[in-house]
Amino acid sequence: MTLTLGHYLFLGSGLFIIGIFGALTRRSVIGILMSIELIFNAANVNLAAFNRFLHPDGVTGQAFALFIMTVAAAEVVVGLALVLAIYRSRDKIYMEDINIMRG
Amino acid sequence: MIESIAFYMMAGVALGSALLVVTLRNTVHCALFLGLSLAGVAGVFGTLGADFLFASQILIYVGGIAVLMIFAVMLMGRTSDLTLRQVNQEWLAGLLVCAITAVGLWRAAKACLSATASGSPAASTRPLGRLMLGDYAVPFELISLVLTAALLGAIFFTRREAGGRK
Repeated sequence: MTLTLGHYLFLGSGLFIIGIFGALTRRSVIGILMSIELIFNAANVNLAAFNRFLHPDGVTGQAFALFIMTVAAAEVVVGLALVLAIYRSRDKIYMEDINIMRG
Repeated sequence: MIESIAFYMMAGVALGSALLVVTLRNTVHCALFLGLSLAGVAGVFGTLGADFLFASQILIYVGGIAVLMIFAVMLMGRTSDLTLRQVNQEWLAGLLVCAITAVGLWRAAKACLSATASGSPAASTRPLGRLMLGDYAVPFELISLVLTAALLGAIFFTRREAGGRK
């Protein structure tokens, strides 16, 4: 059997759902950041698959995936720096302890 | 045929280790499996013929982000974290949200099961370079600005202030 666009979309949605589940349920901030990386990867898989199956002559989808990769790298750097700053000043990394903005 | 086998293997690695990332208790193991999952996604890019994406996925994600995550886990970890419950009380609601989303995505993806690829994939590095320095020159410069800002922000957030105070 040959591979179709649907196969790649199933993989992308699977990764996305696992990432959403992790982001909703993990207790530690680092676990949530990891889940967000999984969501970014699901988007990248979909972009590359659409590029290959629907627009095989161009590389626009791959260029977008590269941009997303760069933004994800920046996001994780800033996120981890923020988590490190919170950990230094409050000694906490679990989400239920970091609710000072709840009012 | 060989393409299908490669796709199923790589997709299995990516999905299986992604599941372990969100369910395991030991955060160090989670970070290691995150690296494995990202490597599986790189293999999926390989089956799509996206050679430059394959290389940069390994360089940026596996070599950069996963290692950064492991560093962060080791900097901020305590021994009690290794066995503590890592999932909060609302996991049932989270599962419900995921199930609803899954139904929608399933229906959308099922509609695309007839679209097959035409021809064999061409090398993409040269056209990507031309695109980045041609049509996408402005976003390319902007993204380097974003990276510089992120670098400065990370340094600003993590530096210790002079004068003894943390």
